Amino acid sequence: MTNTEETVADVESTHTPGDGHMWVMVLGDLIIFGGYFIIFMVYRAMNPQEFLTSQQHLNINIGVLNTLVLLVSSWFIARSVQAARAGDPASALRLTYLGGLCGVAFILIKAYEWSTEIVAGYTISSNDFFMFYYMLTGVHLFHVSLGVLILGITVRELRNPRRRRVFMVEAGATYWHMVDLLWIVIFALLYVMR
Amino acid sequence: MTATAARTTTYAWIVLSAITIVSWWLAPGHTRGAAAAASVPITVVVVLLALIKGRIIIRYFMEVRTAPPWLKLFTDVWLTIFWAGVLAIYLY
Repeated sequence: MTNTEETVADVESTHTPGDGHMWVMVLGDLIIFGGYFIIFMVYRAMNPQEFLTSQQHLNINIGVLNTLVLLVSSWFIARSVQAARAGDPASALRLTYLGGLCGVAFILIKAYEWSTEIVAGYTISSNDFFMFYYMLTGVHLFHVSLGVLILGITVRELRNPRRRRVFMVEAGATYWHMVDLLWIVIFALLYVMR
Repeated sequence: MTATAARTTTYAWIVLSAITIVSWWLAPGHTRGAAAAASVPITVVVVLLALIKGRIIIRYFMEVRTAPPWLKLFTDVWLTIFWAGVLAIYLY
């Protein structure tokens, strides 16, 4: 009996954040990026020493800093969804701006990181590792830019008193957290693993 | 309700940041000059930590924790197959 009650309660309390279209895009992106990362691992397995030596030329401090910047941005965006849900669009708007600002900071830090690598002579044609490094972080950076754009749509939604649809705020947040999730994988595979 | 949700989000963020700082210490980038050595134990730990981070982001930030079962299943299957694949290729 208790089981049945619990099941009913579970069904009632489930909620798909955002809308189905955003989840199709996010889950599709996870599969595609999963494929890129697996290809990276196959190339790494064919030449582990070259990859490891190249990894040492990445700046781990910048990698960690950028991870923390994205995590802070995700905190802002998650809180923004909660504020929008609680009927506090002013806070939701402020938190979305802060999250977006962290996104822009990520892009600037990444640009700085690339420039130091290029100045040090590590370019896309240096070896397979750097080819993957620029390709993966580049495709990810495109997603960060798209994420900032999507947060702009969230801002437009929150600023208009006649809109403020919570599912739109949730959909933007879902995309933004995916950007964070993909970075966590890139950080582990390119910067940290041995 | 909102206060509880806010606290949960903050706890998730603290765990994620703490794991990131631990990862800094594990990375091969510190041994400047000397060549970094490959390490199976470190890589296994890195993979596990990344799996945990990914699941926290999915469950707490993306709110899959309260999503319908199919979404929980899909994301868990993705995380498992992906990281198992990474580890299998690394160890092979």
